[in-house]
Amino acid sequence: MKRFSGFLVVLALVVSGCSSGGGAGSGEKPGEGKADSGKSIKVAMLPKKKGVPYFTSCSEGAMEAAKELGNVELIYDGPTSGEASEAVALVDQWTAQGVDVIAVSPNDPAVLGPAMKKARDAGVRVLTWDADADPSAREFMVNQATAQDIGYALVDTMAKDLGGDGATGEVAIVTASLTAANQNEWIKFIKERLAKYPGLKLVATQPSNEDQKLAFSVTQDLMKAYPNLKGIFAISSVAFPGAAEAIKQAGKSGQVLVTGLSTPNDMKTYVREGVVKSVILWNTKDLGYLTVQAARALVDGTLKPGAVSLKAGRLGEKRIDGENILLGGIMIFTKENINQYDF
Amino acid sequence: MKAREWTLAALLALLMLYAWRADPSFVSLRAQALLSTHIWELAIVAIPMLLIVIAAGIDLSVGSMFALCAVVLGLLHERGVPIGWAAIAAMAAGALQGAINGWFVARLKVHPLLVTLGTMAAYRGIAEGISTARPLSGYPEGFLALSHENLLGVPIPGWVFLCLAMFAALVLGRTVFGKWTIALGTNESATRFSAIPVARVQWLLFAGCGLACGIAAVLTVARTNTAKADMGMGLPLEAVTAVVLGGAKIEGGSGSVIGLVLGLALIHETREFVSWHWKLNELNLIVLGALLIVSVLIQRVFESRNRVASRPA
Repeated sequence: MKRFSGFLVVLALVVSGCSSGGGAGSGEKPGEGKADSGKSIKVAMLPKKKGVPYFTSCSEGAMEAAKELGNVELIYDGPTSGEASEAVALVDQWTAQGVDVIAVSPNDPAVLGPAMKKARDAGVRVLTWDADADPSAREFMVNQATAQDIGYALVDTMAKDLGGDGATGEVAIVTASLTAANQNEWIKFIKERLAKYPGLKLVATQPSNEDQKLAFSVTQDLMKAYPNLKGIFAISSVAFPGAAEAIKQAGKSGQVLVTGLSTPNDMKTYVREGVVKSVILWNTKDLGYLTVQAARALVDGTLKPGAVSLKAGRLGEKRIDGENILLGGIMIFTKENINQYDF
Repeated sequence: MKAREWTLAALLALLMLYAWRADPSFVSLRAQALLSTHIWELAIVAIPMLLIVIAAGIDLSVGSMFALCAVVLGLLHERGVPIGWAAIAAMAAGALQGAINGWFVARLKVHPLLVTLGTMAAYRGIAEGISTARPLSGYPEGFLALSHENLLGVPIPGWVFLCLAMFAALVLGRTVFGKWTIALGTNESATRFSAIPVARVQWLLFAGCGLACGIAAVLTVARTNTAKADMGMGLPLEAVTAVVLGGAKIEGGSGSVIGLVLGLALIHETREFVSWHWKLNELNLIVLGALLIVSVLIQRVFESRNRVASRPA
């Protein structure tokens, strides 16, 4: 028997090692017996990938909401590899644990769909946030920004950076690919909004196929072809830094402006150097905050099909469009405020 | 059961006891049935891996065969082939890939480690090439039910595994083929000089492994509704870990199906419980690594004990 005790020690080490790791890594250990009060609920929140600054900052807002509500126990976990199959494993686990709400940012909607439906069949309420899945797999989506919000914000910001309502000059778009659904929606609203600024003239729309080098050379070509070019909308996360680099290397910082959507950390250097005046994004903390508020309201019954608005704590009343809970309110990062954000 | 297997069973019982005290809902049948969906595919691949390891071989290409089978299924379905035929074609593709591995090992007498290292890259490359790395989804409900339906409380893939495991146990314990497999792993050169058809045994083992990968791929596609060329990246590591934890010697010659089942159960329950209880996904890989090391430690202890035991008095 003596030899067996050796293995038991090893197992104990493995288990206790994991336990101390868990304690240090998160402050969200489940409080046992809390569920007995009947009011407290468990909300599990799944990011596309755990450990990414963008999602970490979302989780901070989610924790804030959970703390503020006091009766929400928040579980925030996700695949560190970004693998959809691992995300499925987590959703299955939460379903088996019988959490009240699962909020998913699906990294692959087709893979996560069946697991989300299984969760719903088991009586778990399911939301999506940040990215959507098949509508039958969830009840509501917490939508950070509509295409209109984004398209309008891009144009308004560009106009402001070029001199306000009377801004004049040629502008161009560097998009992802000509078939990218999201980007095409944004372009539609960019064009719609440009009508408000008669001085701004859209001269070209070029694809960059999610390739930073191509975005770089496309931007170079645009500057050559249109010497009077004043602004570029680089509307994919890959095109934005590519275009900024091209302008920087051409020595046209300040003469040609570029704007687009990105996280502050990715664009900090370009903003400091003046190549980029404004970076556009939604408020990530508020996105996490609103998701937890929506989860609570879903269980309380205040958020139900047909609802047109949702009271979301410090964010106030938020509009609901169909099954989309709209965060609204685009954030603009400039030289003045970008250093306050770390994600 | 041997002492080694009793040890695994004791470890498993200890873990479940701890889990039951810390989080009773984890041990419930409902939770266990749902969570079990994560292990069956690996379990199915681990069975032929056990036989190959017993025959002193190894198959590192299981993850790639798995992915290529899934992609074949997805592409055929996309082109309008009825899902049943697409599934059969996927399994046939698996058997074919396995047969190619077997042919290299048996006829050209290349070490299985090298052969399957090569085909691991090649099969994955083909999967990526023919699917252009796109995810292939959108399968009919009836096909998805293959992984979602339960029979007597156990998901269908679980029954597939049980049948295959019993088949493997019978082959290993009761047939000439099983005796040949063990003989091959115990002493290959001696085996070659006896009347044993070494090449045919090796060829069949690897082809069977490919077929199992095909079956696992079909079940996985049914579970996740998607076939993708990057599926099953971790499969070789996980399958070998389960086999070794289950008591098979990596040098060949020994191993049992019961040990493998216990090894799989231990890996599965530890992994699920750690992530269930501590809610930290990043612990998963650490747990797998720790279990592999623990299994090596156990092996060491038993070997030294055997040496002590066999020493003349």
